[in-house]
Formats: sequence, structure tokens, C-alpha cells
Amino acid sequence: MRIFAVLLAVLAMFAGPALADEAPLLAEMVKAGKLPPEAERLPKEPRVMTIDESTGRTVGKRGGAIRTLMAEQGDLRLMTVYGYARLVAFNSSLELQPDILASYENDQNKVFTLHLRPGHKWSDGTPFTAEDFRFQWDDIMTDKDMDRGGLDSALMANGKGPKFEVIDDLTVRYTWEDPNPLFLPALAGARPLDIYSASAYLKQFHAKYADAAKLAAEVEKEKVKDWTRLQIRKGRSYRFENPDLPTLQPWQNKTYSPATRYVFERNPYYHRVDQTGAQLPYVDQVIVSIAESSIIPAKTGSGEADLQERYLGFADYTFLKEGEKRNNYTVRLWTVGKGSAVALFPNLNTNDVGWRTLFRDARFRRALSLGINRGEINQALFAGLAKEGASTVLPGSSLFRDELGSAYAEFDPDKANALLDEIGLKRNESGTRVMPDGRTLDLIVESTGENSMEADVLELVTADWANLGIKLLTRTSQRDIFRSRVAAGETNMSVWAGVDNGAPTAEFSPQEFIPSDPYQLQWPMWGTYISTQGTAGQKVDDPAAQKLVDLYNQWLVSQDSESRHKIWNEILDIHADQVFSIGIVTATLVPVVVSNKLHNVPAEGISSFEPYGYFGVYEMDAFWMD
Amino acid sequence: MTLPANATRLPHTVSDRPFDPDAIYRYTDAQKALFEASQLRLMWWKFRRHKPALISGIFLGLLYLSILISEILAPYNLETRNSSHIYAPPQSIHLFHQGAFVGPFVYGFDFKLNMDNLKREYAPNPDKVQPLRFFCSGDKYRFWGLFEASFHIVCPAEKGTLFLMGTDRLGRDVMSRIIYGARISLTIGLIGVSVSLVLGIVIGGMAGYYGGLFDVLSQRLIEVIQSLPSIPLWLALAAILPITWSPIVVYFGITVILGLLDWTGLARTVRSKLLALREEDYVSAAQVMGANSGRIVFRHLVPGFASHLIATATIAIPSMILGETTLSFLGLGLRAPITSWGVLLTEAQNINAVALYPWLLWPVVPVILVVLAFNFFGDGLRDAADPYK
Repeated sequence: MRIFAVLLAVLAMFAGPALADEAPLLAEMVKAGKLPPEAERLPKEPRVMTIDESTGRTVGKRGGAIRTLMAEQGDLRLMTVYGYARLVAFNSSLELQPDILASYENDQNKVFTLHLRPGHKWSDGTPFTAEDFRFQWDDIMTDKDMDRGGLDSALMANGKGPKFEVIDDLTVRYTWEDPNPLFLPALAGARPLDIYSASAYLKQFHAKYADAAKLAAEVEKEKVKDWTRLQIRKGRSYRFENPDLPTLQPWQNKTYSPATRYVFERNPYYHRVDQTGAQLPYVDQVIVSIAESSIIPAKTGSGEADLQERYLGFADYTFLKEGEKRNNYTVRLWTVGKGSAVALFPNLNTNDVGWRTLFRDARFRRALSLGINRGEINQALFAGLAKEGASTVLPGSSLFRDELGSAYAEFDPDKANALLDEIGLKRNESGTRVMPDGRTLDLIVESTGENSMEADVLELVTADWANLGIKLLTRTSQRDIFRSRVAAGETNMSVWAGVDNGAPTAEFSPQEFIPSDPYQLQWPMWGTYISTQGTAGQKVDDPAAQKLVDLYNQWLVSQDSESRHKIWNEILDIHADQVFSIGIVTATLVPVVVSNKLHNVPAEGISSFEPYGYFGVYEMDAFWMD
Repeated sequence: MTLPANATRLPHTVSDRPFDPDAIYRYTDAQKALFEASQLRLMWWKFRRHKPALISGIFLGLLYLSILISEILAPYNLETRNSSHIYAPPQSIHLFHQGAFVGPFVYGFDFKLNMDNLKREYAPNPDKVQPLRFFCSGDKYRFWGLFEASFHIVCPAEKGTLFLMGTDRLGRDVMSRIIYGARISLTIGLIGVSVSLVLGIVIGGMAGYYGGLFDVLSQRLIEVIQSLPSIPLWLALAAILPITWSPIVVYFGITVILGLLDWTGLARTVRSKLLALREEDYVSAAQVMGANSGRIVFRHLVPGFASHLIATATIAIPSMILGETTLSFLGLGLRAPITSWGVLLTEAQNINAVALYPWLLWPVVPVILVVLAFNFFGDGLRDAADPYK
């Protein structure tokens, strides 16, 4: 009997917290029998997130809601970024770890075997199995009707896609003939490569599985062209627009669009627990209010957000700081994780022959860079707290060297003018230089106008370049139009930020430094050419850019860390020498407003989309409200 | 017919006293002046009695004179940046330093960057007495783009500063920028109104005088134009202006756009006036005598309501100024480096300006004052020009 009593006591100790500690939002439903208890909802082996209390983070209590502000419905995708549940995920030191996956095996970057967690369920309680991978592969990615325009570039190795196999109910395998080092990082991306989807739900919108009449009725109801559009619309997991679509993320959108206030509720079947066994996320709800982006700083300053980084700029810091005491929040300064906070991109593929010839001349690009007084810009706009330098990786990255940042980044208008004279650009009587075809150098810089800091930088650059005899004009257009005009070669120069991942290691793909993407502002046509394997765009016809492409191809097949490091160094050296984009300031600071009731938000961090996912790698599911 | 023999001629009945035709209605000099006064003079007398209008008129006159010499009036140039005084608050003018009279001076600023909230803090330092210089040599400029000069009415002390309305985010003097901005903001109204005046008189005049098909067509056109919401229409037209146009051409483009949209009201007025006046006898007389249409309209009809036109135009100017301010404020009108009050206000368009740097909102004041002044002035003019009052 006594043994039994002890056993019972021990059992109670183990079972006690888990039973008593249902998350407040779910406790009622569990009590009413509408939802199984927590122990049954978790996978058999949940991912245990050990919250290291020595770093100042604490094991929290569950409940409460985080309020945050976003500017449009499209920003809801940030909740996928913040939530950051991925098959494999980066931790805050950028090491890859299995997250949704129980484990994986990687054989020479060619064979990837992924093992799922037994008992893992989608947010609607249906099991998450290999079938979800098969459905995505057979019926979405390679389905003829879905017509996806080929596989995603991260699924292509040397122009060929993988072989997909289902090993058993919880194991899938992707096999490439050539190494594909991009696969795992793509799964861990802020915008992940989707290789699985909620098949049980989505089959009702797929012609192969659904009843034809029902599907036609649904197509009619949603006013889309055909069932493939319906499938796409219903299945957008990244965008978080469809509240009925099951998810694996910590929070799920419960509000149908359009709305001005979206409520995200905890996923009852989430796969992570803290070290005490309590299911994460700590916070029950995330409430996203939609507001005009220009008044988000004002709203944040008046205490309408518990956690806000989006749409705040360095210029708002002082204002936000003033409201700290009154509204019980703290403003932290995170470092912008982009390679360059503001950079100018000469379009080497512009349709304008005169400008194209000039931009292809490295001396011209160098002169433009030398003519910018970065010190003044830093003082005037960033209180001297940013770093001045060329567009490369961030100071502090393991690949950074001083000479990369300082290449052609000193302010030397005499040298710049000498270079321009050497190219043969003569000044006319009003002091503006004239192109060989007789036009004056009126350089139009395209901007999205989203960022007032860019406009201020451009204003200062305008004055600097006037001394070089170059007249800078600014044109703003909406972001999508901006991108498509750049891609079509209709623009001469654009302003944007440097590479997204400013602090890569040699294990990260250098693709942002290589012509590889149609959206690259300095060589959109070359990017299109490479990303489409030569079916569209223009062939790379600049030796330095071609060298970059060759180096990238070497990196893709390189096996050891040392040779990758070497390739990276060479790539960065070429950029420093060629000035393909003109970096102005880097490592700028951005305010992050955190309510004093919200815990576990790091005091310092790197604010970047890729690979940090803003709060993503800082484990937002472990933030808690008191 | 013969006279009787004894008849004599009646005495002469015409008085031989000197004849004075004004004997019965003897006018005083004042009356004489009144009756002999021209239309303009009558208006002036009436206008003079309307004190707010008079004061507004003088105020506007001075402002318009000031734009001739903006370079001289402004202590700094439009683009002079003082990178050590970013977001400096306004400095006030003192006369006495520690009880002693020094003449007008400002205290120089001590700058400190507050590392806690990164606020730029400026404290007046009582040791830095910086007397203003008058009729002095300061920033070099090209006067109306013609010749180089450096003469200013007032300048900061050597190596001192003079920011009576503070500085903006690049350390430019707000007051100087407002003075330069007046040049654009005030003239845009005048040019715009001239465009709309010409269009209004010609189209309205023809519609009223000829009537018929032209009248119908022009009236429908006016209705269409008036029913379009003005801001989206401005935006569309402003977006058409090519970016490569130099700012000064854009400036003219904007004025023409404002003028092109504003003539409709004026055309209506002209038309209705003409409809009434063309039936007058003196018009028939002129027609009978063979005057052509142009002569009748411009020689006989337009002078009949010219005073009214002037008043209408005056009241239209502030709407032009506001139109430019609105467009620029929305970022679609003028753009830097052209500086108008609207452009200046665009730069103050964020929460930081309101909460931390309120002096950036100074350009609102001249906009309000000028619009009010024009309204008073136009009001006075209309009262004065109305012959039936």
C-alpha cells in the first residue's frame, strides 16, 4: 500500500502540472470535452525548448495576448515568419536543427531522409504524415494542371529536380543526382520552401480527390477561374489568409479577410514544449491590428502595441522613447541585419544604351561611390551610430574584412571627378556632365517611397553628386511596379537595401551576391537568365559577373568548409572591387518596442528577414505576458 | 404783317446779367469730386473704408515685394546645411545681456546628443553672445540666378547661428526656407489665376454672347469638369508631368494644371453677366452701328463687369495657393529642390515633427495668413466694385 501511495504521489508530480496547466484559452474546451487534453494533443516526442535561465530568459506562464500593428492584410505573412515553425530551423547562432522533423539524415547533400514526429497533428487535429508530403509533391508541385512553371530553384540541382519517395508513414526521402546544398536552408527560410501541405483539408479542392459537382460549386462561390486557382487560394499557408487551413505554426489566424483586426489563436497541437513540459506558445493570442504604415510609430508610441518592430525607423526612436514611462514599454535597439541599410543599384541591364554603357564601366560605379559623403549621412540621419561602408556582408560577420567595407567608400570627390574625366564625361557650361550621346547626366533613382530614410539619404547624395556634375532625380512608385520596372530594364538606378542576410557563414549560399534572381536590382536580366537556366533574360556578358556565376557553381558542388570559405572570399573581393551596388551605411539600428509585461524578448538582436525571420529565431513562442 | 402805328417793341426779356448754369444746384468741391470721379476712384474710396481689406492689401503687397528680394531677406540660402545644428529649436532675439544693452543678439547653442533617447539637445549658452549683423555679407547666392552676391539684410554673427524658426532634419534654416518658399507659393496663385482668367473670359464670353450650340457644349463641359473630384484629378494630371522635367518646368506645369481646372466658375459668371448685358440697349446700338462681336464683347460688355472679375480672381488666388499646398503635401506637386510652403509642410508630415520638432510646422502660419488676407482683400474689392450697393 505504501508503495502505491508513493507511486501515486510520484505520478501526481509528473502528471500534475500537465493536467492543471492547460493553456487558459483551451482549458474550458478541454473541460467540456471538445478538445483532448494536452498530453494527447502533443506529438509523442515533442520538441523540448530548453529556456536557458542563465541568459536572463525565464520559464513563463501561459495566457494573455500580444498586440501588434501591421499595415495591410499582406503583412499577415509575418506571422508565419515570427512563428518560425519549420521542418528544420536555425537557432539564434544560425545552426540548423530539426524542428517539426524529429530528425533528418543528409548524405553528401544528395540524399535527404526526413523523419516526422509520431503523433504530430495539424492544428485541426488531423495527423501530420508522409501523405502530406506526397500530396504536395504529386498533386501540387508536379501536377500538370497546377502548372507551377517548374520546381522552385531550391529544389533544382544542376538543372534537375529530386526523386521523391515515401519510405513509411513517417519517413520521406528526396534524392538528387548532384549535391543540393540549398535544400535544407530553404526549408528553414523565413519564407519556407513548402514541401508539405495539409492534404486532408486541401483534397476537397483538388480535382483528383474532390467530387466534381461540389468542386464546381466551390469554384463558383469563390469566383475564381478554375479549381487550380481555388486550390492555390485555399492552400496559401505562408500568407495566413485562410483561417480554415490547418497549420503547424504556433498561432493560427482565426479571422476572415477583409478585417482591420486579426486574431491569431494558439495552435492546440503545437509540437514544442518548454523544459517543464508545458506546451508552447506561452501566449494564447496574437492580435494584429491593421493601421496606415505612417501612423504606426504614433500608435506604437501611445502604447497600442506590445511588440512592434515593423514600420518603425531609427528616426522614430526619440519619439518612442518619450512614451516609454507613460505607456509602460521599453524601446530596444536592434541591428538591421542587411548587408547595407541603404544602397544604390545601377541597373547593368537597363534598356537605355547610354546609361548601360556607363554603368558597365567599373570606373563610373567607383566614382559614384567615392563621391558620397557617408560620414555626413551617418551623422545627420543616424546620429553617427551606423557604420559607413560599401555594400558587402555586415561588420561582425565571420566573412567580413575591413578592406571589403572600405573599398571605394571613402569620401574623395577629387578622385571621383578624376575618374569621370578619365571616362571622358565633359562638363557643360552649367557644370553638369554630358554623355557621349549629348544628353546631360540626369540620373533618375527609382524608389518605393516606403521609407523616408531613403529619401533623406538621396537628398544628401543629390548634393554630393552635384559636385561630380551628376544630377540626381528621384521617382517613387509602388513596390510591385518598382520591381517590375526594374526587371524590365526600364530604370537606370534604384535605391533599396543590401543583401538580406548580412551575416552569413560560408555554409550559407552566396546567391544574393550572384546573378541568380529576377528581382536583383543591379542585374535583373542576368538573374532571370540564370534562374531560368537560360530560357529567359539575357546572357551574362560581363567578365566579372560571369566570374561570380562560375564561383557560385563551384560553391554548389564544394564539399568542405575551407573551399567554401575561399569561394566566399573571392566573391566578396569581386564585389568590393567592382562596386556592383553602392552601399552607403550599414549596421543601422532599428527600434523594437516591447511592453514591460512581455518577457523573454532579447535586449539586443538582429532584425532581418532572412535568415533570422525577425523574432523567428529568437523563439517568439517562448515570449510570455505577465 | 405790320405793326400798329403807335406800337413799340416790347423790352428785351433776356436778362443780361451773367449766366450761371449751376446757380440752383451748387455743388461743393467734394460733391464735384464725387460726381466727376472715375469708376476706379469710386472703388478706391469704398475700399478704403473696409479696414481689414486695406490692411490685408498692404500685407499682401509687402509679401509680394519680398519675393523680389528673397535672397537678401533670408539670412541663409535655401540649401545651406548646417550639419552641426540638426533639428535645432528656434533661437530668440535678446537685447540685453546681463543687464547691459548689446543690441539684438542670440545666444549660441551648446549641442549634446542625449545617449539615452538619442535626442539632439540644444541649450542656449549665455557665454556665447552672438550679435546679429545688419546689411552684411553672408551666404553667397546668385540673385535671381543672374549675378553672384552675398548681401543680406541680416546675418548671423561670424561663426554664429541665426535660426529664428529652428532648423530641419538636415540642419537647414526653416525661416530662410519659408522666405524662399513664398516666391513659389505666392506666384503659383497669380499665374494659375491668369490662366483661368483668360480661359474663363474667353469661353464664358463666347458662350454668353453667341449662345446656341457653343453655349450648350461649353456648359456641359463645365459641368463635367466641376463634377470631377478635384484631388484625384490633380493627382492624375500631376502624375503625367514627366520626371525628367526640371523642377521649374514642373512648377509651371502645376500652375497650368491648377489654372486649367479652376476656370469653370469664372466662365459661368462671365456667361451669366453677358447674357444679361447683351440685351441692353447700348449693345443693340453698337450692333446697329456695325461693331463686330469682338469689339462689342471686349469694348462694351467686359468693362461692364470688369470690377467683378477682379474681385473673383482675387478670391481664386488663395484656392490656388491651397491647391498647390495640398498637392505638394501629398507629395505629388512640387518637389525638392523647388521649395514651396507645401513642400516644407510635406517634410513636417510625421509624428516626430508634431511631438518633438513643432517648429517644422511654421510654414502653416504664412499659408493661413496669406489665404485669410486674400479673402479679406477680395471681400473688400467685391464690396467696393459692386455698383448697386
